[in-house]
Amino acid sequence: MTSSGTPLLSVRGVVKRFPGVTALGGVDFDVRAGEVHCLLGQNGAGKSTLIKVLAGAHRPDEGELRWQGEVVSFDNPTDAMRTGVAAIYQELDLVAGLSVADNVFLGHEPATAGFTRRAEVRRRTRALLERLGHPDIPADRDAGRLSAANQQIVSMARALSRDGRLLIMDEPSAVLDQDEVRTLFRVIRELTAQGVAVVYISHRMEEIREIGDRVTVLKDGRTVATGLPAREVRTADLIKLMTGRDLEYAFPGREPLDPTAPVVLTVRGLAASGRFSGVDLTVRAGEVVGLAGLVGSGRSEILEAVYGARKPSAGTVEVDGKRLRRGSVGAAVRAGVGLCPEERKSQGLLLDQAVYRNITVSTLPAFARFGFLDSGAERVRARELTTALDVRPPGVDRAVRTLSGGNQQKVVLARWLLRECRVLLLDEPTRGVDVGARSEIYELIRDLAERGVAVVVVSSDVEEVLGLSDRVLVVREGRVVHEGPAQEIDESRVLDLVMGGTAA
Amino acid sequence: MSRTRTARAGALVAILVTGVALTACTGNTPDTATQTGGQAGVKVANDEPGEKVVIGFSAPAADHGWMAAISAAARAEAEKYSDVELKVVEGTNDVNLQISQVETFINDKVDAIVLLPFDGAAMTPVALKAMKAGITVINVDREFDSPFAARSTVLGDNYGMGVSAGTYVCEKLKGKSDAVVAEIAGIDSLPLTQDRSKGFADALGECGLNVDNRVAAEFTVESGEKAAANLLQAAPRIDAIWNHDDDQGIGVGAAIKNSGRSEFFLVGGAGSANVMREIKADNGLHKATVVYPSTQGADGIRLARLAVQGKSLGDLVEVEVPRQVELFAPVVTKDNVDDYLPTAFES
Amino acid sequence: MSENTATAAVAPTSGPPDGGRARRAVTGILGSAAGRNTGLVVALVLLCLVGVITAGDRFADVDNLLTILRLASVIGVVSVGMTFVITGGGIDLSVGAIVALSSVWATTLATQSVANDAHWSALVFTALAVGAGCGVINGGLIAYGRIVAFIATLAMLAAARGLAEILSNRKTQIVNVPGFTAFFDASVLGVPVLVIIFVVVAIVGWVVLNRTTFGRRTFAVGGNPEAARLAGIDVRRHTVLLYTLLGVCCGIAAVMLIARTTTGSSTHGVLYELDAIAAVVIGGTLLSGGRGTIAGTVFGVLIFTTLSNVFTLNNLSISAQAVAKGAIIVVAVLLQQRLARRGDT
Repeated sequence: MTSSGTPLLSVRGVVKRFPGVTALGGVDFDVRAGEVHCLLGQNGAGKSTLIKVLAGAHRPDEGELRWQGEVVSFDNPTDAMRTGVAAIYQELDLVAGLSVADNVFLGHEPATAGFTRRAEVRRRTRALLERLGHPDIPADRDAGRLSAANQQIVSMARALSRDGRLLIMDEPSAVLDQDEVRTLFRVIRELTAQGVAVVYISHRMEEIREIGDRVTVLKDGRTVATGLPAREVRTADLIKLMTGRDLEYAFPGREPLDPTAPVVLTVRGLAASGRFSGVDLTVRAGEVVGLAGLVGSGRSEILEAVYGARKPSAGTVEVDGKRLRRGSVGAAVRAGVGLCPEERKSQGLLLDQAVYRNITVSTLPAFARFGFLDSGAERVRARELTTALDVRPPGVDRAVRTLSGGNQQKVVLARWLLRECRVLLLDEPTRGVDVGARSEIYELIRDLAERGVAVVVVSSDVEEVLGLSDRVLVVREGRVVHEGPAQEIDESRVLDLVMGGTAA
Repeated sequence: MSRTRTARAGALVAILVTGVALTACTGNTPDTATQTGGQAGVKVANDEPGEKVVIGFSAPAADHGWMAAISAAARAEAEKYSDVELKVVEGTNDVNLQISQVETFINDKVDAIVLLPFDGAAMTPVALKAMKAGITVINVDREFDSPFAARSTVLGDNYGMGVSAGTYVCEKLKGKSDAVVAEIAGIDSLPLTQDRSKGFADALGECGLNVDNRVAAEFTVESGEKAAANLLQAAPRIDAIWNHDDDQGIGVGAAIKNSGRSEFFLVGGAGSANVMREIKADNGLHKATVVYPSTQGADGIRLARLAVQGKSLGDLVEVEVPRQVELFAPVVTKDNVDDYLPTAFES
Repeated sequence: MSENTATAAVAPTSGPPDGGRARRAVTGILGSAAGRNTGLVVALVLLCLVGVITAGDRFADVDNLLTILRLASVIGVVSVGMTFVITGGGIDLSVGAIVALSSVWATTLATQSVANDAHWSALVFTALAVGAGCGVINGGLIAYGRIVAFIATLAMLAAARGLAEILSNRKTQIVNVPGFTAFFDASVLGVPVLVIIFVVVAIVGWVVLNRTTFGRRTFAVGGNPEAARLAGIDVRRHTVLLYTLLGVCCGIAAVMLIARTTTGSSTHGVLYELDAIAAVVIGGTLLSGGRGTIAGTVFGVLIFTTLSNVFTLNNLSISAQAVAKGAIIVVAVLLQQRLARRGDT
């Protein structure tokens, strides 16, 4: 499968920085024509950023890309496509309402004097779909009505319609069932036989073994290994490469949990159709419970259902022995439950509003007399909290938008601190938070637990889950597949469980 | 609205008078006015510059050719008098804004206000306020609901329009008792439309005819086209059509042209210059139109000036300007079109 | 949202040269809410200057100022309500129609006979109740029926005016309730009751938006509805309350219009939605929600009504006035964006 000579694409020393974070700190690898090159790495290792750099959506700050030995730079995705690089993202980007053929040629329609040559569009689309082994997809069908698997094929057809020589596929199997994955692999094999190269991103070991030729492992934005033979390399080695510690986060030490502490949160048989089912969970006062799992495993949905933001199809949630009304955020908040949502900016914060307003938004009645707010008192309390949490820069009247990710997260935490909640649900508490601020947030979470709050933490970062929690639940495909004390399980075992592999 | 009816009796005199006022303003100079039969001596006396009169004028939005003509004619009339200073605030269909315009006139202490209200009843309070402030208010076309709100009122005669149109149709179809008469009305729910239709039906009744087909449009070109197209579908043979409004008549004409029919004649309404030119050229289906004077505002200006200067209407023995003037709705045909064309409104 | 914002934004940049500091301070103040209002005050003062120059004493006259205020009152009350809805991330196209329907319903023979038999305030309560009812329907359709605000209120625009036409049979209904007319025609210390109502509504609006839980939640719901929901605010209920509040404002405006014209009519309030939205937006309220200012809205209304007055005094046409109004909206919004961008950096 591999051919020698000049690689199709070589990536050398690519660095990409965002304000406050270095997303890529030096990535090197080569992709040869006709190979399937797997990219492996934990969440946050920089895979998504790398894809965007390759596909022209981001410009690297340092380093270079060479296409067949020539240095190239992509100003935008169209540039990349013109060269022959196309990315197929997890969130498929077809336009619902347009036909398959129109989607395939969107933006580069063959046209005469502004009039699309419709017959040609259809004919060429059919030819592409045939080349992809899917002559069954009708070129005239509304793309929005296709199954996820077929949409993926259409996206690939779109890439090929621009004469794509390198396809980047971001976890394509995440939205597919087993049969569909098999079909996808067949298509990939046919493409590579025609000399097309594929960069394949996945968490699933067995897929990498089945379809991959070579593997590159990323960790913390750097290449830690490249060109490993996909079929021979040991899973245990790969996991070690992915998790091997260059950067230590200081996880706070913890007191042994008081076994007589009262149970605060009890979840029984919680289910949401199509997302998760049969989830049981109890959290004692002062306990931190971690939920480990991949994106899409149902872990965030479980938190949302506990919080009432998502209506469960079955099961009950109790706080301090009192059952909460299903699907009511108000009931949960009144019972003392707080949530720091996964998408902090879009779900957690009022970005353009002052820090103090973000902190007091869930506790307004406490500052009100007959509906009139005492904003002086609000500011005083907010200032106490921001000082305690060391939110920088200080100033409770500054818009939250101007703070860094870590400080924004502290603001959300402060909101629930102010409310003195009994149960705190944290979804990806350190996403987008730089290394320095992470330790502070860990400290804070631990602190809260010691004050008797029952904490549930969801994270894709296994190290984080293990470091923070007293007890760990592993979620895969909507089910809890493991539950036990954090000390009794290690990172590779958890990774193995979340990916569903059987590594020793 | 019943007050309108009782007022009609009082307007008997006024109709007579209007003949003078109307002919006066059809002529561009006092000379032509003399020719058409006014008493030259008195007129000249009235036209002679007197004390200066400041008049405020306000009317609804000019969303119809007729309404645009109202303001234009008022301005033109004021131009003719060196002793008249006209302040025109133009066009609004928001009574709140029109009220504030009148309030501005009151603040300015104008001598008279000529007001064509968007809604007569809604403008009554501010008109009363102006009268109380000693300002002469002349109400035009849409009546206030209080007799104290205006010194004088100039009204068109909607019922009379219908009568004129019906009488003309009767004459043209004399002897054809089986003739098919159709009517294209304006906005059906408006009292003025109902008055016009009633007059038309009453006049037809006098000669044994009746309205065989009736449709209603909305005073706009599109609505006229739609209504006429429906009418032509519904009636395979028609002898005469009366269309209430010459603005919507443009649409009516388009529909007739599309249908290719020409077995009937058309009588217009309101009296646009377009239709009058067609009547003059005698090359279309329009044989006549009934005038709803767009010079009412101009008459209002004259009355305001006279009332403020304490002059009387020339031909009346009466010392003061009358309370109400109801304008005549004459039929314009090829024979007299030249008299009316100069004051007709452009659509 | 206060002086502190400005100082906080200026503080971190250490040691700029003196001229730079002054400029920064100026832009900082302009960037704050107070600064936006300064811009509006300047605009209003300029307009008044134009009025004085072109119309002299006729403009700068107590009676004329009262004329401006009376004109501003009706649309002003609607605009204050509109500020709440837009700050809360919504829009309401049906306000003019609701004003018409309320004015008609409150002046039907039935209502008037009740008003004459019992108390004239029956007329007022009817108008407020009809306005509130329309608001509840708007809010309910948007919050619980999940219909886009634009569409739901567009439907209300058509339906409410249609219902007003049916109720009134397209006739203008004249009010014959002496107590009502006497009350609203009066003046207190030379200030007409209508103007007092507007002032009271504006003050109450300002207090509610800036000093109460309800107002704070309005900012939250408009700024980020999902975050507000996850913070425990009942966003749907709040949305219904916002539209109801605007409906009540429309009812108040209807009462004022009835008093001013002694009539109820299905033609009242035509295009008030556009006037109100324009006033709110040039006042500095963000059309996408999350930021709103009652003071700005009041200035917006005053700017438009003063403009209208200056044009009337100078015998200029409504058409020219419409062009000027369009230009003001564009300039105000461009300026706003400029300031907002500076505020961010």
